Amino acid sequence: MKLRELFLQNRNEKALPLKAALNLLLLTVIIVAVFWLSLTAVGVTFDFSFVSEYRTRIGQGFLMTLLISLASFAVSLLLGVLSALGQGSRVLMLRYLCGFYVKFSRGTPLMMQIYLFFYIIGTAWGIDNRFVAGVLILSIFEGAYISEIIRGSLLSIEATQWEAAKAVGFSRSQTLRLVILPQMVTRTLPALTGQLASIIKDSSLLSWIAVIELTQTIREISADNFKLFECYFLLGLLYLALTLPVTLITKKLEKKFSYET
Amino acid sequence: MKKIAIVLSVCLLLSAAAGCAPAVTDSEKPLVVAMELAYPPFETKDSAGNPSGVSVDFAKAFGEYIGRKVIIENIAWDGLIPSLQTGKADMIVSSMTITEKRKEMVDFSDPYANALLAILANKNSGISSIDDLNQPGKKVAVKTGTTGDIYAREHLQNAGRIELADESACVTEVVQGKADAFIYDQLTIYRNWKTHEDATVAVFIPFQDVEQWGVAVRKGNTELLDKLNAFIAKFRSEGGFDKLTQKYLAEEKAAFEELGFQWFFDLK
Repeated sequence: MKLRELFLQNRNEKALPLKAALNLLLLTVIIVAVFWLSLTAVGVTFDFSFVSEYRTRIGQGFLMTLLISLASFAVSLLLGVLSALGQGSRVLMLRYLCGFYVKFSRGTPLMMQIYLFFYIIGTAWGIDNRFVAGVLILSIFEGAYISEIIRGSLLSIEATQWEAAKAVGFSRSQTLRLVILPQMVTRTLPALTGQLASIIKDSSLLSWIAVIELTQTIREISADNFKLFECYFLLGLLYLALTLPVTLITKKLEKKFSYET
Repeated sequence: MKKIAIVLSVCLLLSAAAGCAPAVTDSEKPLVVAMELAYPPFETKDSAGNPSGVSVDFAKAFGEYIGRKVIIENIAWDGLIPSLQTGKADMIVSSMTITEKRKEMVDFSDPYANALLAILANKNSGISSIDDLNQPGKKVAVKTGTTGDIYAREHLQNAGRIELADESACVTEVVQGKADAFIYDQLTIYRNWKTHEDATVAVFIPFQDVEQWGVAVRKGNTELLDKLNAFIAKFRSEGGFDKLTQKYLAEEKAAFEELGFQWFFDLK
């Protein structure tokens, strides 16, 4: 009975640090063992000696991915807000345009959008810089998701709030600024940081147009040294190094704002 | 306690399953041949989606020769050599050039064909030789991991390199002027030049030694390698490659003769 207690915890209860550590350790051992057994079964041995040789390029790729992700996050936030507002606009053409944008971006693969925008629209309009093109393409794609996050939380604010604000004499812009916006921030912030993690992962697809970010760097290296498994294993770790902190921040924000809803 | 037992037994099962690697020397088992079906007419798919091309017929003829059924595995170029290392495939027939670096990872058969690199340049790039390309400010598109890529890495260090995942992206870059040139084998360059004659020029002046294509097998698999070498010699002497040329490459052969290029299967 006692032994069993070491591995169980009531729902919605946090485990004591020692207990948590024990369980985590055991889990790690099991995962590593399964992974190691799989490796030996296929006869692959890991050799990471190449990492120091390529560390400058890997570092540059890592920074590039970070830069692209942050820039795309900023631009997509702008696009998302505009398109969410546009979808509620009284101007019909604007409303339809924003609706079409969201449906198109969310309904087609990013891969296809990258080729289409880079080789047709990018070429036609003279956007030849791969970094700029990459950030724009990724922003357009992610902006549609952000638009839906914002629209969703906008819709979740009860109509009575607008009425109440009107009753106390607030104008439309005052209502937006003083009543709606503060609530929007608390409702969308966790979902938005979650979207940042998606942006980081999705940016890897920009390697298809040879933006030298992390994935492209690793692809180039593995084509040179044939250490495909080591390279992609390292790639996974490096992406985790970026996405895990973002996930933790998301969790923190969720907790911080949860009392308000 | 019961749950721990379940977890442990699942782990054991998993590891047991992972431990049963197939015995590749078993002559009853089908021969798994890896190739990237993206290089017509050597490795491609017919209209019904079945593997087709010179390499497919060649692999099947070898299967017949050693009395084993052949399964063609379509694997992306980057994954070909790893597929041998992990036992997913027994051999690679994918127009793969024998290079020193690849030899460190796999064993190659005797060469069965050869090829030369060529340049597809944008018409406005002013490129008429390989030296024009090796200049600061010039950009060369290559398909990642191909011999064109390897050549650019080693010999075109003044030029910028754009590494892309597929051939059509490389050609598009050149047609649109995003890249000045694309380096690939003569046949591909010839075909793409014919398709985009208004936007591109082709440079066929040889700038390296002839590349030789070999069949790759797992390191140390001499049994398969010996059979392969015997088969390649027999296939050649019986005119097998001439038949494949007639079946898949008749037009290209005529064009190559006109241009004075060495044919794929004329080994010297």
